[in-house]
Amino acid sequence: MDTIFDLRNISYSYVGKINALKDISLKINRGEQVSIIGTNGSGKSTLLAILNGLIYPTSGDFYAFDNQITEDVFDAIKDNEFRSYFRTKVGFVFQNSDVQLFSPTVYEEIAFGPLQLDVPPEEVKHRVEDVLEIMEITKLRDRSPHTLSGGEKKKVCIATVLVNNPDVLLLDEPTAGLDPRTQLWLVEFLQELGRSGKTVITATHDLETIEQISKRAIVMGEDHGVKVDGETVKVLDDMALLLSVNLIHEHMHIHGKTVHEHLHAHGKEKEHAHQHLT
Amino acid sequence: MIPDWMKEVDVGPCRCSAVYHGKKGFVGKTIDGIFSFLQEAFVSETYAKRDGLLQGLDPRAKLISILAVIFATSMIGDLYLLIIVYLLTLLFAYLSKVDVLFFIKRVWLFIPIFAGIIALPMVFNVFFPGDPLILLAYLGPGVHIGPFSLPDSIFITKQGVNLAVIFTMRVATCVSAVVLLFITTPQQVLFKSLRSVGVPKIYVLTLEMAYRYIFLLMDMVREMYAAKKARTIKSRSMFEEQKWVGGRMGYTLIRSIDMSEKVHMAMMSRGFNGDVKVMQQFKMKNRDYFAVAAAISLSVLLVLIAQDFIRV
Repeated sequence: MDTIFDLRNISYSYVGKINALKDISLKINRGEQVSIIGTNGSGKSTLLAILNGLIYPTSGDFYAFDNQITEDVFDAIKDNEFRSYFRTKVGFVFQNSDVQLFSPTVYEEIAFGPLQLDVPPEEVKHRVEDVLEIMEITKLRDRSPHTLSGGEKKKVCIATVLVNNPDVLLLDEPTAGLDPRTQLWLVEFLQELGRSGKTVITATHDLETIEQISKRAIVMGEDHGVKVDGETVKVLDDMALLLSVNLIHEHMHIHGKTVHEHLHAHGKEKEHAHQHLT
Repeated sequence: MIPDWMKEVDVGPCRCSAVYHGKKGFVGKTIDGIFSFLQEAFVSETYAKRDGLLQGLDPRAKLISILAVIFATSMIGDLYLLIIVYLLTLLFAYLSKVDVLFFIKRVWLFIPIFAGIIALPMVFNVFFPGDPLILLAYLGPGVHIGPFSLPDSIFITKQGVNLAVIFTMRVATCVSAVVLLFITTPQQVLFKSLRSVGVPKIYVLTLEMAYRYIFLLMDMVREMYAAKKARTIKSRSMFEEQKWVGGRMGYTLIRSIDMSEKVHMAMMSRGFNGDVKVMQQFKMKNRDYFAVAAAISLSVLLVLIAQDFIRV
C-alpha cells in the first residue's frame, strides 16, 4: 500500500509553551479509514491541522505524497503546483462549522473551493448542483450560513469539501452536536466514502461511531503522544487502555460490541448487580 | 461525591413575589437596541425578495444608476427640484412594492442626526449674516464671549433657513436613493455589484465576510449577556456593569481574532492563497441598459438645470 502521510517524530507547541503534540510517528496509507481518539485537549485537532498543512511541526518531519511539507515551500504567496495538488487531494471538515462557512450563501460557499483551484466555472456549477443533491441540501442553496441549524451547517461544511473531490478526508469531531438521525446518516456516508476507496481520517471521542467508520484507531494519551496504534476492534476491547487515557469511566460497559454508559444515578430500587471494569 | 451543602434542598414556598422594579439596565437596553436594528435589517431583506420594479434590475445597473442620481442631486441648489427628485424616489419605492411609510420613516430617522446637526448653526446670524426672520434675543452692542464678539441681536435668518432646508432636503434625497438601493437588493448581491464600479474583489470579499460574521459575533454577545443574566442574583451598580461590558468587549475582540485565524485556515484548506477567485453570475438585460441610460439622462438633465444651462 502507498503511504500518503508520513509523520516522523513530530512535536508541536503553541507559542512555544503549550505542548499539543509530543513525538508523534505514524504512517497513513491510501484508502485507510482511521480514527484518532483521545480526550479533550489531547492534541487531535492539532494533529489534523498538521495533516492538512495548516500549521507546521515545531520539530520533526512531515511528508505528504512523498514531499516534505515545510512552511517555506507551502506558505509562499507564489502559485505552487504541489500545494494546489495537495489542496485538491486533501479536504478538511473543521470542528466549528462557523469558521468554514464564510460566504454569503450556501451556493457560493460550496463553489468557493473549486473556484480557488481553477476549475472552469461551468464545471463548478455542475459539481455544486451534484453535491447539493447528494447531500440533500438543494433547498438551502440561497440561504445565508447564519440562518442554518447545526446539522445543516455540518452538511454544508462536508459539501464544501466534497465538491473538490478529495481522496483524503480529514474530519474533526464530525458527529458532535448532531441529532441521532443525522449522526447515523453521517456514519453511513463515511462508510460509503470508505468503500469507494477514499482515505477517511476522523478525530473523535465518540466511541460508538469509531468502530463503524474505521478499521484502525490511533489513541492519543493525555501526554499528547500516541498511546496505541492498532485495529479498532482490539483497541475498543482493551478497557484498561481506554481507562488509562481517561476516555472512559469505570461505570461503562460493553453491550454486544458497543460501549454503553451505565450511570449509577438511578435510585436504589433499580439497583442491580454488575461488575466494574476494574 | 457531592459536598453536604449541595445536598440541601429548599422545599418551602417562595416568600416573595415578582413586582415591577423600575427600568431595564443599560446593558440590556443597548443589546436589545442593536438586535432590533439587526432584525430590521432582516425585514428589509424581505423587500429585496419582492417582485417589484427595482428588484428586477441587475444590481450593477441599479448601483450605477443610483450613484449617478446621487451625484446629480448633490449639485442641485433649487428646493423645488430637490422635492421633485425626492418624490421620484418615493414613486420608485412604491413601484418596487416597498411600504412607503416604512421607507419615509427609515430615511428621516437618520436625517435629524446627520444633516440636522450640521445644518442647525447655519440658520443663526451668529455664523452666517442675513435678513432677520425670527428675533431670538436682543443683546445690545459690544457683547463678547471670550475673544468672539457677538452681534447686537441674535435672530434666525431667511437665507440661513433656506440653505438649511435645501441642505437637509438634499441629504434626505440622497439617503432615500441609497436606502432604495439597499432595501431592494439582497446584501450579498449588493456587495458583489460593487465590483462593477471598480472595487477590487478582495475588498468585496472582506465586506461580505464582515457582514456574515457580524451576525455570529452578535449571537456570541447575546449568549454572554444571557449567561450573565441567568447567574445574576442581585443587581449591581452602574460602574460594575460598565466594567463587565468593557471586559466582554475585550473578550469578544480576542474571540474574533482567534476566529479570523481559523477562518483563514479554512480558506487555505480549500485552496485560497491570497488571490481570491469568484464566479461572475450577473447578466445585463436590455431593460438594465435602458435603466442605466434613463438614470444617467435624468442625472445629466438635473446637473444642467442646476448649473443654469437649462432654465425651468
